[in-house]
Amino acid sequence: MRRPGALRALTPWLPLAFLALVAPLPLVVTDPYWLGILILSMYFALISSGWNLLAGYTGQFSLAPATFAMLGAYATGLLCEYAKTPPWIGMIAAVATSAIIGVILALVVMRLSGAYLALTTLSFAEIARLVIANSYNFTRGDLGLGVPGIFESRVTWYYVVLGALAAVVVGLMLLLRSPMGLYLQAIRDDEVAAASRGVDVVYWKTVSFTLSSAIAGLAGGLYAHFSQLISPELGLLTQTGLVICMVVIGGIGTLLGPLVGAFLVYVLSELLREVGGVQLIVFALVVIVIARFFREGLAGLARRAGLGKLA
Amino acid sequence: MSRVALEKVEKSFGGLRAVAGVTFELGDGELVGLIGPNGSGKTTLLSLVSGHESPDGGRVLLDGHEIQGLSPTRIARAGLMRMFQLTKVFRRMSALDNLLTTGRALGLSRPAAAARAKSILEELGLAPVAELDAGHLSGGQQKLLEFGCCFMVPPRIALLDEPFAAVHPTLKETMAGYIRKRHAEGHTFLVVSHDMPVVAELCIRAVCMNAGSVIADGPTRAVLSDPKVIEAYLGGEGEA
Repeated sequence: MRRPGALRALTPWLPLAFLALVAPLPLVVTDPYWLGILILSMYFALISSGWNLLAGYTGQFSLAPATFAMLGAYATGLLCEYAKTPPWIGMIAAVATSAIIGVILALVVMRLSGAYLALTTLSFAEIARLVIANSYNFTRGDLGLGVPGIFESRVTWYYVVLGALAAVVVGLMLLLRSPMGLYLQAIRDDEVAAASRGVDVVYWKTVSFTLSSAIAGLAGGLYAHFSQLISPELGLLTQTGLVICMVVIGGIGTLLGPLVGAFLVYVLSELLREVGGVQLIVFALVVIVIARFFREGLAGLARRAGLGKLA
Repeated sequence: MSRVALEKVEKSFGGLRAVAGVTFELGDGELVGLIGPNGSGKTTLLSLVSGHESPDGGRVLLDGHEIQGLSPTRIARAGLMRMFQLTKVFRRMSALDNLLTTGRALGLSRPAAAARAKSILEELGLAPVAELDAGHLSGGQQKLLEFGCCFMVPPRIALLDEPFAAVHPTLKETMAGYIRKRHAEGHTFLVVSHDMPVVAELCIRAVCMNAGSVIADGPTRAVLSDPKVIEAYLGGEGEA
């Protein structure tokens, strides 16, 4: 429900305000390790924002967001390795590869929904990961593939990834304010009703899946050049599980949610790393509590406090 | 020329023959009531016209063109809108956005869709709740909203499935008044309803189905007093 209040006028700007809030962090966080954690938080924020477009705004529950990041990472990694292309061409290839594979997969799966869609994308994710892991002569499999770096300074990396994240968030804001945003949300709420009112359901689901894949590809491309070593572990189902936790905890179907969720979950995950695998138990419990009592996540709590719909 | 025509249309679900060779026409600017007992095939008939079901046999024509097998999206864009028996609104979108989505998807420009939506919200008494999520509206308001979506791009054909069911009398009169107004402007209607007084008052022509077939078709008063129709509803001769 939309609530009145002066704060509502500010709501469309909350995702950008959050990014503005984290922008000065390198002034405070000078430890390279923790700067790396923040950069990886933004890597997950990118994937989460893309998955949120598909799951939160279009209602399509894919289990392959981490796979598309892995495909993007390998696209640029393999190009740099074998074709010796400059990284910026590799980055374009990362986005394009994930988008093209995304559109091909979408043409197959977008007539499915619910559990069928989830299982089909899960199968695709495992096949893609195993193909990369077993193509040892080409990808170096589980040993990992070395990728050239771009910047020496982690602070530079921080602002490059932040810039990419801001560009994606602004793009999503504009998209959601366009007719396409209305169509995607209509499909999420009721596919039959959407089709009956002139919305081309399969077409817009395909567009959403492709954009979501492309955003994950961008994240994967950035990750590859930042970490300089990629492996099929990028596409593990646990990585997708982490993305889902981030979106659900932050607030599915909001632009702010995946950003807050990614920073919160990834930083907490690092803080809890010393106590072993307990972080996954903690996040699973938090997801259960949120799914039961606060279905709109942390952004939903902000919304209930009067901060409106696009939080 | 008829806007909608069905020629020997058949549809079965397993062993159940839901629509059994129905031939039926809906003329330009007509306001027709489609009546019949539960399970007589009325909703399936609407689904065959709106593209939600494909016929097993026969032809469905819209403005002279065959439309069987076309998607509901294409049929909606061709000018045929449908209201469902179980209300279908975009629950997490505002009432205004429900209308805007329909208008934009059907080709209206942003200003035209906004103007049309504003007018419909005011005419249906939904203006005060325009900014509320549709899922937060009352059942009657949701019905009105879905009803309003059918009129974002006039003049069109509207298939209304039980629009008056479980609706407060005031809202019912609002809806009936709106149908009369749009009908006077040339809009074509096929209205499924069990509310006989409203059908009798609103529709000039009525069609009655029973067991998948049309058993009566003609002026509403004549159809409502037809012994076959009375028997279909009451299950026995002369009991009405």
